[in-house]
Amino acid sequence: MSWEKDRIAKAKEIIEMYPQKRSALGPLLYLALDKDGYISNESIVEISSLIGITEVQVQSVASFYSMYKQEPTGKYLLSVCKSISCEISNSSDVITKVKEFTNLSNNETDEEGLFTYESVECIGACGGAPAIQINYETVEGLTPEKAVDLCKWLKEEQPKVIVADELQLKFGGQKSFDWAIEDNSGSSSPVPGFQTYEMQEDIQ
Amino acid sequence: MTEKITFTVDGKELEGKQGQLLIEACEDSGVHIPRFCWHKRLDPVGMCRMCLVEIETPRGKALVPSCTTEVTEELVVETESETVKKAQEGVLEFLLINHPLDCPICDKAGECPLQDQTMAYGPGESRFIEEKRHFEKPIPVSDIVLLDRERCILCARCTRFSDEISGDPLIEFIQRGNKTQVNTFPDEPFKSYFSGNTVQICPVGALTATSYRFKARPWDLKKVSSTCNCCSLGCSVELNVSQNKMLRILGEDNEFTNQGWLSDKGRYNFEYLHSENRLTSIKSKEDNIFKDISFVEATEKLKSKIEELKNPDIKFIVGPNSTNEEYFVINKFANLMNRNEFLSKDKSNVYFSDDHVFNGYFGEGYENAAFEDLDNSDAIVVWSEDIKDNIPVLFLRLKKAVKNGVKLVVLGHTNTSLESLADLYLGEEVISNNFELKTNLGNIKEFQNIIENKKVTAIIGKSTPIQQKKSLDMLVDHLQKHSQAKFLNCFTKANTFGALQQIDQIKGLNEFCNEYLESNSNIIFTIGANPVNGSYFSSNIQDILKKADYVVSLDIFINETTELADLILPTTSYGEKEGTMTNMEMRVLKQNKILPDPGSVLSEWEYLIMVAKSLGKEINFDNAYEINKALCAELGNENLVPSFDNLNKPSNLFGIISNKEIDINITDLEQKDLSMLMVKRLYGDSSTQINSPSISMLGSERFIELNSNTLEKYGVKSKFANLTQNQNSIFVNIKLNNHLPDDIVVVPINRRGFENLDPTKDFDIKEAKNMKELSVN
Repeated sequence: MSWEKDRIAKAKEIIEMYPQKRSALGPLLYLALDKDGYISNESIVEISSLIGITEVQVQSVASFYSMYKQEPTGKYLLSVCKSISCEISNSSDVITKVKEFTNLSNNETDEEGLFTYESVECIGACGGAPAIQINYETVEGLTPEKAVDLCKWLKEEQPKVIVADELQLKFGGQKSFDWAIEDNSGSSSPVPGFQTYEMQEDIQ
Repeated sequence: MTEKITFTVDGKELEGKQGQLLIEACEDSGVHIPRFCWHKRLDPVGMCRMCLVEIETPRGKALVPSCTTEVTEELVVETESETVKKAQEGVLEFLLINHPLDCPICDKAGECPLQDQTMAYGPGESRFIEEKRHFEKPIPVSDIVLLDRERCILCARCTRFSDEISGDPLIEFIQRGNKTQVNTFPDEPFKSYFSGNTVQICPVGALTATSYRFKARPWDLKKVSSTCNCCSLGCSVELNVSQNKMLRILGEDNEFTNQGWLSDKGRYNFEYLHSENRLTSIKSKEDNIFKDISFVEATEKLKSKIEELKNPDIKFIVGPNSTNEEYFVINKFANLMNRNEFLSKDKSNVYFSDDHVFNGYFGEGYENAAFEDLDNSDAIVVWSEDIKDNIPVLFLRLKKAVKNGVKLVVLGHTNTSLESLADLYLGEEVISNNFELKTNLGNIKEFQNIIENKKVTAIIGKSTPIQQKKSLDMLVDHLQKHSQAKFLNCFTKANTFGALQQIDQIKGLNEFCNEYLESNSNIIFTIGANPVNGSYFSSNIQDILKKADYVVSLDIFINETTELADLILPTTSYGEKEGTMTNMEMRVLKQNKILPDPGSVLSEWEYLIMVAKSLGKEINFDNAYEINKALCAELGNENLVPSFDNLNKPSNLFGIISNKEIDINITDLEQKDLSMLMVKRLYGDSSTQINSPSISMLGSERFIELNSNTLEKYGVKSKFANLTQNQNSIFVNIKLNNHLPDDIVVVPINRRGFENLDPTKDFDIKEAKNMKELSVN
């Protein structure tokens, strides 16, 4: 058994929420992602026995969606948008600078496990293009220089929690609109939306 | 579903059924629409887009995939318009973007739907100049199936088969977009009893079988339709032969039996035909050494032995792999040898070599079911040997019926593989470890709800040789009283029903052991039977064969039984003889000859007729056709009997049900307490299988099954143990199976090493260290 007792208890709690066990696959993969920073084979075996489908069926779903990482992810996942609005607003320079600073190419993680770099399709911040996401927390209205400052700051400070609004004030520019998200607790790991389950306790 | 619909295809008016898919309705009316992913027996997915057709809609003409569109009244369809042609060309150009053009070395070339349809509908040239994607080729997805991912066009036929039909989804699409590939999970191979079907339905050369790879080109193959004799389901098959060697067996779609599918055993159990261990000459034992002799010498020997022994008692043990025609002759021969042509009921001297056969439920008072009844009934009740291991394709039929809403009730202990399909699984609360009913079935509410006044098809057979018939009687009587029940007698081996129909008053091995008298002089014939291996009476029969004055074996290999014989007559086998076989619904199907007889071997009936002649008796047949004619003459109406002539008619390719009366005389064994439950696994150590290299390893694993309570009782914590009884000790893997009741240990009887165990005696399980674990530094 590769999963801790708490994690299995959490998984069972999630499974309860669905009429069919296998429907819980998506959220369970987040649990797996939270454990190792990627979907490990051990986690796949664990999930398959929890919801009664075969390992390869779990792997099929896990490998289909690019946000279920197949390889270990760094502490900070840098996702720079390369779609059309950002491209028009000079995202290619942002991409070049970030790549230069981190010395990473697409979908690579550095040796210390600090940064993972990826260029992604539209992250829904066209009004504030170009935009970047750090562990899925969005910063808008970047310039290439500010982007490098942001990376430097992350490297020096290594904050435990990334909060979009804080970074926006420090490094961002024009914002598309006020997102009006009530929960401004930020993100503590490169697992999208995971803190909505329980990790808030860790954050505070 | 049966309501008729008229629609127009390419200006012609066609008829279809309500709810039918357009591609299928067109196919039925003779209009072929090209396709890769659509398969009659699988759910449609619309993956490949090859079947695009143009239909008229209120907003003008539109391209739709005909495999996901249902026919509707007055639908107007174009299958050959310019637009459709352009779409087909486009689809094929895309499909060929990543498909390697390695047809010259591809096994599929010549019968490849992609190749054929590219020729028929393709654009002729590609505008794609980029590098194709590359994968390691090929990778094994199981012991018998190889996968070349470069050739795969992602039609999802194999993944859908494994999910929908066989229910073991161990292959799936991994990754997405350009990287999409079919694969297994690491260290979880595609271990399925049905994996070979994916090779057959693959529309390209992506999935290949180890046994056929690089062996022949399709245009060199000689083909004939036949019937599989691996179990009593009678799957329709096509035998493929090149240069007088059987190279491949494909499933044929017989609506009434296998519906296109085969088990891997039925599909790959043929290499033994050309094994160098095959017997090709007559052997006589002299001073414990087998010597080749001629047939004339052999008959002389047999004749002088019969004379020398003065009125010997002659007994026959027959196996399940002969044809009906052979059983017919065996019956005649046995009657002659009994010195009494008017056999009295208790004087039968023919014994059938399968412990699970008993008097069964035939004839008056019982309505026998056909497989199609499984789909048409409200509920299916199963109490028999393990169906998945013994009649694998029947498991697929059950799964299909359940998928279509038929309720399934399984009565316990041997069919744990059906548990996940069953609506009601009656285990240890209802059935004792000796397979007796513990409670009145009428008291089980859920059971009553499922069967009360419903159409029920019951599959009934002994779960273990020791099971008493009266326990089955209780279930059968209950079903007779409370439902409209039809019965399938679950005797699992090959042509068992043929033997029962053709041989008068056939008995079992129990009777054989009881009726054998040492004081008499004895001659025993074993015909295609190996009772010394895998029978409850093995050790008993071994003793008898050793003591008997003369033993004659008709078989294809030296095995545990034939090595005890004094005279071995090598016989023809599957594909080398023409005849009929009767499956468990009494459907008679044709087996055809396509291979020449190896060496100078003859068929069983030929030997028997010639032996009879040398003894001055007459059985006059020149060929299987004549025997078949004589056999059918007893059955009445010439047009309805399963004669070769009738079975060769196109209208009868699915077989003819024969109602010949069955007259068995097998009594129950003495009731004893079982300590372990012996079951037959699909793969084992039969001489045909160990001489077929592609599948011989599949039956090598030794394992026992028990539940966690029982395991705890023996204090075993690891997955490995030694099973010991008297001097026997076997190293086994342990498989946990919590559907089993406490104190039952399931042991595979047809795996090497288990043959000397006695299921009624005590044994012990002791923890053992795995050698692999020990060798770790």
